[in-house]
Amino acid sequence: MSFAGFLSEYQVRPKVWDEMYEAGDIRSHYQVFFDSLSQSTSAEFTLKDELAKKLFMNQGITFTVYSDGEGIEKIFPFDIIPRIITAAEWEHIESGIKQRIRALNIFLRDIYHDQFIIKDGIIPAALMHSCPGFLREMVGVDVPFDIYTHISGIDLIRDGDGSFYVLEDNLRTPSGVSYMLENRNMTYRIFPGLLPRNNVRSVKDYPDLLLKNLLGLANRQKSEPTVVMLTPGIYNSAYFEHTTLARLMGIDLVEGRDLVVDNAKVYMKTTAGLKQVDVIYRRVDDEFLDPLIFNRESILGVSGIYYAYRMGNVAIVNAPGNGVADDKAVYPYVPNMIKYYLNEEPILKTVPTYSMNDPEHFSEVFSKIESMVIKKTNESGGYGMLMGHAVTEQEVAAYKLEVEKNPRHFIAQPIISLSSVPCFLKGKVQPRHVDLRPFALYGPQGIEIVPGGLTRVALREGSLVVNSSQGGGSKDTWVLGS
Amino acid sequence: MLSRVADSVFWMARYMERTDKILRALRTSYIASQDEMQDFNWQLWVDGLSAKSSDSIQVSNYQEALNHLILSNQNDASVLANIVRARENARSVQDYITKEVWQGINEYYHLIRDSKTEDLLLKNDPVTAFDQLLRESVLFYGTVDITMNRGEGYIFISIGKYIERVIRSLDILELQMLEIEKGGNEAMHWKYLLYSLSGYEFHTKHYKNALHMDEVIQQVFLDVQFPHSILYSLTQVERYFKRLEDISLPEYFREMEFLLGRALSNLRYNTRRHNDSVEVKGWILETRSEVKAISQKLATLYFGYSQ
Repeated sequence: MSFAGFLSEYQVRPKVWDEMYEAGDIRSHYQVFFDSLSQSTSAEFTLKDELAKKLFMNQGITFTVYSDGEGIEKIFPFDIIPRIITAAEWEHIESGIKQRIRALNIFLRDIYHDQFIIKDGIIPAALMHSCPGFLREMVGVDVPFDIYTHISGIDLIRDGDGSFYVLEDNLRTPSGVSYMLENRNMTYRIFPGLLPRNNVRSVKDYPDLLLKNLLGLANRQKSEPTVVMLTPGIYNSAYFEHTTLARLMGIDLVEGRDLVVDNAKVYMKTTAGLKQVDVIYRRVDDEFLDPLIFNRESILGVSGIYYAYRMGNVAIVNAPGNGVADDKAVYPYVPNMIKYYLNEEPILKTVPTYSMNDPEHFSEVFSKIESMVIKKTNESGGYGMLMGHAVTEQEVAAYKLEVEKNPRHFIAQPIISLSSVPCFLKGKVQPRHVDLRPFALYGPQGIEIVPGGLTRVALREGSLVVNSSQGGGSKDTWVLGS
Repeated sequence: MLSRVADSVFWMARYMERTDKILRALRTSYIASQDEMQDFNWQLWVDGLSAKSSDSIQVSNYQEALNHLILSNQNDASVLANIVRARENARSVQDYITKEVWQGINEYYHLIRDSKTEDLLLKNDPVTAFDQLLRESVLFYGTVDITMNRGEGYIFISIGKYIERVIRSLDILELQMLEIEKGGNEAMHWKYLLYSLSGYEFHTKHYKNALHMDEVIQQVFLDVQFPHSILYSLTQVERYFKRLEDISLPEYFREMEFLLGRALSNLRYNTRRHNDSVEVKGWILETRSEVKAISQKLATLYFGYSQ
C-alpha cells in the first residue's frame, strides 16, 4: 500500500491535534514531505526502518531502560517519519523560551541572594525551603555572569487547540541532545534529498555553540582554558550522549576518579602529571558532586570540588542548586516570575497546576481523578506518576495514601491530550503522541536555541508517557526556514 | 591524555592483538587437526591458552575445544571474553578513539555473538568462521592506521599491540615446543608454529635449512624483517615509546627507557644456543617476564597505578 493509501486508514483521535493531518487534509507544512513520498510503498518504508535500526546498532547508540528485564543494550527507538514545525511556530517557541529562561535565571540569582520574590510575597517562603533542590550551600555564592542554567531543556506539548504549553523545565542535567543530532544524521541516510527540499534548518551547530559558551566561563587569563565533561561513567543510561558531546566538542570526558582538588583548584590526572581544569560540564547530579559537602557515599564526584567552585577557581555547568527552579511545585509560579522580574506577559502558556498541599485542591483533584495526572514534584523520567484515565480504583486508593503522607511533594494537572504525529509502526502509518524538548544555551553573549530539539514519542498506542526510560522513542524534528 | 584513558586504549589494543593471535593460532591448529592421522591434541591447547587452571576444561573433540576457546562465556580467557573486554575499554574512551574504530569493534562484537558464526564454527566449516572473524581483526588495524591521528592515543595503542605480540608469540612457541616434547614430528610442528605466526612463507624463502630448530628460533626471536618476531615487536615498542618523551615527566621516561634498552640488549646480545630446547625455554621464560615487567612499570608510571 502506498503512503497516500495509508492515510485513508489513519485514525486521528478525537480532540487531538495531529501535526500532519487535519480534517482529511495534509497540513501545508507537511505537503512537500507527503508529496515526495506519497507513492512509496509499505515495503520501501520497512526497508528504511530496517536501515535506521542497523545504523543505530552499528554505532552503539543505545539507551539503558531501568525496569526492563532484558540486558543492558537496547537501541533507542527511532521513528523514521519526521515531526515538522513551521517557521512561525518556531519563532513563537523561541521567544517564549528565551523569556522563560531569562526569568528563571534572575529567579535563581534572587533566591540565592536577597530573596526579594519571597519578601514581596510572590512565592511563599515555605515552598522554597521545602524544595529538595534548594541548596543552602549556594546561598550567597556569586556565579560567573549570573548565569545558572547554561543548558536547559524546556518540555513543550501541544493541546487539542493547537497551542503550545510548557509542560516542565529541566534545568539540572537535561539529556537528549545527542539523539537530536543523531536523528538528523539518520534522516539524510533514509530520506536522501528531502532535507534541502524542505528547507530544514540545521542543528549541527549545537556542540560549537555550547563549547563557545563553556570557554567563555573560564576564570583564568588564559587563551586556551581547559574544559572537561564530567560523566558518572559507562553504566549511566545517558553515557552515549556524554561521549558524543565530548567527542564533538573536542573536550576530555572525565570521571570523578580522574579529578583531584589541591589548594582549591581542580586538576585532572594525565600521563604527564596534573593539569588544571577551568570549566566542568557536569552530568553528575548535585547530590553526588562532592562527598565532602553533599552525599558522603558518592563515588561519582570529587572531594573538595565545591570549595574550588566557591573560590571561583573552576566553573561548573549547570550551576548547583537549580533544582529549586525546576521543581514541579514551583512551576505554577513561573508566569508570576516573568511578570515580576521582566514586567512582561508570559509568551508560552503553562498547564494549570494544583498543589496537593492545598486541601481544597486535594479533594477537587481526587473527585475528578479520571481527567487528572498527579506527579511527584522532584522526580524525572516519568516515574512516580498517576495517569488518572488509565488506572484502577485500587491504584488510585494506594496512590492517594502516598500523597497524604507527603502532600507537598505532589502536584496535579489536567491531562492534556498531547498532539499526535504519524509513525511508521508494524508496517502501517499510525498516530502516536509526542512532546518537544528544545535545548536552550545561555552563555555570556546571550541565549541561543538550536532550531528543533528532541521530539519524544510514546510508542504504545494511546500512551501519553514519552520518556525514553519508559519505552518512549524519538523522531527527527524539522524546523522549516521562513 | 588522562591516565585512565591511556590505560583503557592500551588494554583495548592488547586485547585486540591477543584475539588476533589466538584466532590465527587456532585456525592453524584446526587445519592441522584435519590433516593428521592420529587425534589432534586439543587438550594441550585448551590447557595452554587458559589464564588459570580454573579456566580449563576437559575436551574430547574440536567442537568442544573451539567452543571453549572461542565462544564460551564461561571461559574468562576465551576470544569472546577478550572482545568483550576490548569493547568495554573502547566504549569508555570513545572520545579518544575515532568513531570508525569504535564502530569496527562494535561490529566485531556483534559478529562473534551471531548464531551464524557459532553454526559455522561448530557445525559447518570452521575455517570460514575463522576467516570472517580475522577479517574484522584486520579491519580494526586498518581503521586505527587510517583514521587515528598520531597523538598519545595512537602511541599507547601501538605500545600495547606490540607488547601483547611478544607475549603471545612466546606463548605459541612454547605450546608447539610442548607438542614436540610429547612426541610430535618436529618439522611439522615448526611448520604449524610458523603458520600461526604468519611466517611460513617468509621462512622458506629466507632460511636455507628450513624447519630446523636453529633457524626457526632465529626467525621467531631475532629476525627484524619478520613482523611477529620478538626483536621486531620490542623494537617497535621502543620506537613508539620514544615519542612520549616530550610529554613525559623526565624521571619516568628515563626509567622506562632503561628497561626497554636492557630488554633489547638481552635479546640482541645473548649467547644462547638456538638448537638447545632447555636454553630456549629459559629464554622464553626470561623474555616473557621481562616484557610483563615493562608493561607493569608503564602502568605504574603512566596510568597512575600504585606499586
